[in-house]
Amino acid sequence: MKTSLGRLWDTWGITAILLLLLAVAPVVTPDFFSLDNAQSVLRESAYLGIVAAGMTFAIASGAFDLSVGGQLALCSVVSLMGYAAGGTALAVAAALATGLACGLVNASLITRLRVPPFVATLGTLFVFRGVAYILTQDGPKTLPYDQIGSPFVKIGGLDVAGLPLPFLIMLAVYGAAWVLLRRTATGRRVLAYGSSPEAARFCGISPTRLRFFVFALVGVSVGIAALTYITRVWTADGSAQDGFELKVIAAVVLGGTSLKGGKGTLIGTFSAVLLVSVLNDMLVSQGVPSAYQRIVLGGVLIIALTIDGLRTRFAAPGSLRRAVTGLGGRTPKPGLAR
Amino acid sequence: MTALLRRAPLVLPLLTVIIALAVATDSFLTGANIENVLVAAGIVALPGLAMTFCLAMGEFDLSVGSTVSLAGVVCCSALIAGRPLAVAMALALVVGAVIGLANGLVVTKLGVTPFIATLATLVIVRGVALAYSDGHDQIISSAGLKYLVGGRPLGVPMPIVLVAVATAAAWWAMNRTRFGRWVCAIGSNREAARVSGLPVDRIRIAVYTLVGIAGGAWGLLISSQLQKGNGQLGLGFELDAITVVVIGGTALLGGRASIVGTVLGAVLIETIRNGLNLLNTPPAYQRISVGLLLIAALALKGLRRADTTVVPTAREATS
Repeated sequence: MKTSLGRLWDTWGITAILLLLLAVAPVVTPDFFSLDNAQSVLRESAYLGIVAAGMTFAIASGAFDLSVGGQLALCSVVSLMGYAAGGTALAVAAALATGLACGLVNASLITRLRVPPFVATLGTLFVFRGVAYILTQDGPKTLPYDQIGSPFVKIGGLDVAGLPLPFLIMLAVYGAAWVLLRRTATGRRVLAYGSSPEAARFCGISPTRLRFFVFALVGVSVGIAALTYITRVWTADGSAQDGFELKVIAAVVLGGTSLKGGKGTLIGTFSAVLLVSVLNDMLVSQGVPSAYQRIVLGGVLIIALTIDGLRTRFAAPGSLRRAVTGLGGRTPKPGLAR
Repeated sequence: MTALLRRAPLVLPLLTVIIALAVATDSFLTGANIENVLVAAGIVALPGLAMTFCLAMGEFDLSVGSTVSLAGVVCCSALIAGRPLAVAMALALVVGAVIGLANGLVVTKLGVTPFIATLATLVIVRGVALAYSDGHDQIISSAGLKYLVGGRPLGVPMPIVLVAVATAAAWWAMNRTRFGRWVCAIGSNREAARVSGLPVDRIRIAVYTLVGIAGGAWGLLISSQLQKGNGQLGLGFELDAITVVVIGGTALLGGRASIVGTVLGAVLIETIRNGLNLLNTPPAYQRISVGLLLIAALALKGLRRADTTVVPTAREATS
């Protein structure tokens, strides 16, 4: 049986670590809480965080989307083309529509052609990036530098009451996502399907509709993230954010959402995203070369997951019996990453 | 013929592509070009063979791309420091083995899921490679190392010789030894394998170590080709290695493996890449076609299965 302390740790563990890190941060980085630094940390975390919110649903439903890096590149390029053609409104619409379209393509491949999500989204990762490359064959798409006053550019640069607008968008996304996951029937279906697809199907949950919902959600979140991304870096091409998919999945899993499905925590994902950003900021402020930053981040990931792995192993029902009979290890559960 | 197609379903698409390219271009069916295709295919097939064991076990190794760069950096900097070629090459393979062993231990002893464990080593190892090379190219000019890709014992390009030997060994290990049967047994039902008394953890560690060594060898081949080592080499290679295995027909969820399929998968991908090059298609289209090929390979299988199984099992549904 899982103790209530264990359950508390599931949701708030990573948040506790984040708070601890925040307490230490000013010691390492004297100007950590200065307005400039805090704002830049929050602004930087937005696009990763927004996609991670969508990905939490996918992983909670027992699938993951490897194509988000390609989606982000494609959404960014199309959105910048939209801006060139018709200004802010078209740029926003183009980003969201492209994200949605990518999600629908993924869902169609998975449900109609029965390609496993891992392979389908690995394939579309190549395809989406490829399309973005083709669209930028005559050079990366950029925002013209005389557009500083335009409302579109303000998405990335504006501060509202001291908080960066991208971060506020991220907060709003998490608020909506939390309500969706915790307070609606749809959210319960996602979790139910993730914990046992078979049982969920017998309860009348349609796998096809669920897949479409989840992957469309990821796509739209990428569309929103792309807006905060391009209005910050002003340029995009097919190689934008290479390796993004792995960062997103890492943040979600670090937050406590199980790769096996059936368990998802948005508070955890949110904290994990901030944790990674804060850690990054601390390393940068210490002048740690980027090569070593990777080593630290990878190490943090392994440590966090090890703690989780050990905890599950010893908290699982029957662990005593297994410890006695020597048949150690965790109970096999359906899922890809066993 | 039908038996052959069932056992090697890639033969038909491969023949189609070859015929189409022979008609569409003048230069495809020249000896030199076919050799280019086979050399390129051999280089990808080598890590693909090791990865076949990993996927047959129902697991992945995402870290090979970084192993390529670290092994290359270590080998090249050893050569620059004046160490003998044999030592430099051995160091690269040892680096690969250590990374693989670390993956295996983290996955089995610490209970971290393979996806995340190897994702973390992917990040860490690339960090180490960048730190070790200080971000600079380690440029070498080593005739000995060049021989690995450019040599022609008895007129046959060296990568083809290497991959022929490796394929034979992998085929034998997969189909004719206890080890191969055990790997597939773990892939189809790990708990059953454990209860039957198989040394599950030791086999998993061995497979990860194998993939690590193959990653090291891949790094040597790439460094031999480019005559340099660099912390950025091998970016995204992990997906290439998984792609050839999956296109080759090894089940993503484990339990079934096709060594011949992996080799054919590598040949098919490199044939398409080569053909697109000859047709002057920009690299972007090459990415797209590899992606579509991957989806098509699995979609065909999924649709075939749809005829027989109405309700997918839980494992298929979650994957």
